[in-house]
Amino acid sequence: MGKGFCALFKKDCRMLASGKFFFMAIGFLALYTAYVNLGYIRFMQMEPYHVYLYDPAGTQTEKSPLVQTVSSMEAMDSILLDDANGVGLDVSAGNVQVVLYAGAERIDNHRIDYALSLLRPSGNYSPEILGINTPEQKSRKEITCELLFFELAAVGFLGIAAVLFKEKGMGVIRVHAILPLRKTWFLLSKLAVFLLSDLVFAVLLTLLNVGLSDGAAVLPAVLVQTAILSLIMALVGLFCALILKDFRQFTLAYLVIAIFAATPVFLSANTPVKLDWIGYHPFYHVYMGLKNAYFATAISPAYYVGSAGMIVVLFSAVQFVFGREIGKEG
Amino acid sequence: MIEVRNLMFSYSKDRQALHGLNFTVEDGEIFGFLGPNGSGKSTTQKILTGILKSYSGSVSLFGQDISAAQGKEFFQKIGVLFEFPYLYANLSAIENLSYFASFYPREQRRDVGELLDTLECKPDFLKKPVSSYSKGMRQRVSMARALISNPRLLFLDEPTSGLDPSGAVLFRKIIEQERKKGTTVFVTTHNMVDADLLCDRVAFISNGNLVALDTPKRLKEKNSNHRVVIDYLCQGKRETKTMESSELEAGIPFAHDEIISIHSQEPTLEDMFIQYTGRRLS
Repeated sequence: MGKGFCALFKKDCRMLASGKFFFMAIGFLALYTAYVNLGYIRFMQMEPYHVYLYDPAGTQTEKSPLVQTVSSMEAMDSILLDDANGVGLDVSAGNVQVVLYAGAERIDNHRIDYALSLLRPSGNYSPEILGINTPEQKSRKEITCELLFFELAAVGFLGIAAVLFKEKGMGVIRVHAILPLRKTWFLLSKLAVFLLSDLVFAVLLTLLNVGLSDGAAVLPAVLVQTAILSLIMALVGLFCALILKDFRQFTLAYLVIAIFAATPVFLSANTPVKLDWIGYHPFYHVYMGLKNAYFATAISPAYYVGSAGMIVVLFSAVQFVFGREIGKEG
Repeated sequence: MIEVRNLMFSYSKDRQALHGLNFTVEDGEIFGFLGPNGSGKSTTQKILTGILKSYSGSVSLFGQDISAAQGKEFFQKIGVLFEFPYLYANLSAIENLSYFASFYPREQRRDVGELLDTLECKPDFLKKPVSSYSKGMRQRVSMARALISNPRLLFLDEPTSGLDPSGAVLFRKIIEQERKKGTTVFVTTHNMVDADLLCDRVAFISNGNLVALDTPKRLKEKNSNHRVVIDYLCQGKRETKTMESSELEAGIPFAHDEIISIHSQEPTLEDMFIQYTGRRLS
């Protein structure tokens, strides 16, 4: 196996380098890291809605320090004009009157409840906290998981197909049919290059965005999940690139697959939207596997069996279409 | 070297490409396989090179049935030049050849620089990406790729396509040199000049059937009308006479001052192909 596989591996690395794939991966890594550290985490740490109180008689003695007092209703109006998400509480008539600019009904109810709760902070419930992650750690793990899933499912998949289309266009796949090497090495070397690059990407993304010690703790489990998703997506990419005629056809298929793979999974896993059929969506389980890895939650052995089965089936399908491709007319 | 018996192949139920081919190619022979587009040439070559497998009949190469000889050793003994120059466009000629050579045992490989020199590749281009090469230059590098492993059996598909006349002459010289080394050469071509000048024997294939197989000379002789056309000068006037070649046995049988030329009316290989297949090579 040694020399022939090394030659293929080296050549595939060169193909990726000449296609600026590594450059692109580094660019994405920098972009994601900047987004997480300079945008997302700051946004998640932002103060909630500002609450303004007009209480000329000073009746609200238990109010939270988060409540800002205003001197008049005119001042309240002026502040709310600038801070349209803020909530005003007017107690000048004895009872509490809420003043706000209307938005979505559910969110307005939430704003009102929050503002009223600040008037009686001592009466608030103190809930039992589950899990060991701080809100920032949770946010970092969640967003890193989402970005890694997106990178593996969409970007890496595009990369492997681009390389194969290039080789198809140059006709060199056919030359490999008459070389003294196992034909599966041609596929295995590509999988190895992409797997390795995805694993390096996952390590860097995790350490840079989850943090060194937290990241290192979850890294082994994250790498296992990365390997599963990377292999599945690389095989889907190879299959599409081998059966489709050109890159234009592929981009259409790519849109369908990316939308099919990513959208319902993100919706179901990260929003209150509940899709009854999501349990049948294979990528939902892969995404949850990755999320469970980041949050150190146990993963069912059935999931690993299913993933291994999927990889074997996809690899057999790719081998079949590869055999067909090398036998095609010139 | 090659023995094909009753070879049949179908791409689908209603698309039979080969209808029972029979031929042999001897060791050290240059064998031409001629046929129009879609006649089954490429299919035959793909079966012989082990790319297509689901055929019926028997094919043996190097004295061994091809179905049993599909391992590494088989591919180490053959070299294939495809119709189109399939190379990595982002790599240079040297990088392409070093890459393809790396799959063969070190002792079997030829020196890349020497080979490129033999093929008269422009030295300034050798380290530039193949994407900057002309079609002829790519064809030369492709030929170098086919020869890099010192193959015992060389398959050449349209070897001189894309070459200028001097390139075509060079390729024919290289093919002759290969034969002198003992390499067997299986040439698939449309080019009648190549077939006539290079091949020891040629086979005509049409619609998946072998319609003729012989040396180019014998094929032409068999169908010759044995006439000659003589251009001559007589009393200062240029004249032309056509006669049976047997009539010349006792000398020129008419009055003349000077013979300008004598041309036999032997048919060309292309004439023969049209006669056997009813189709032109295009």
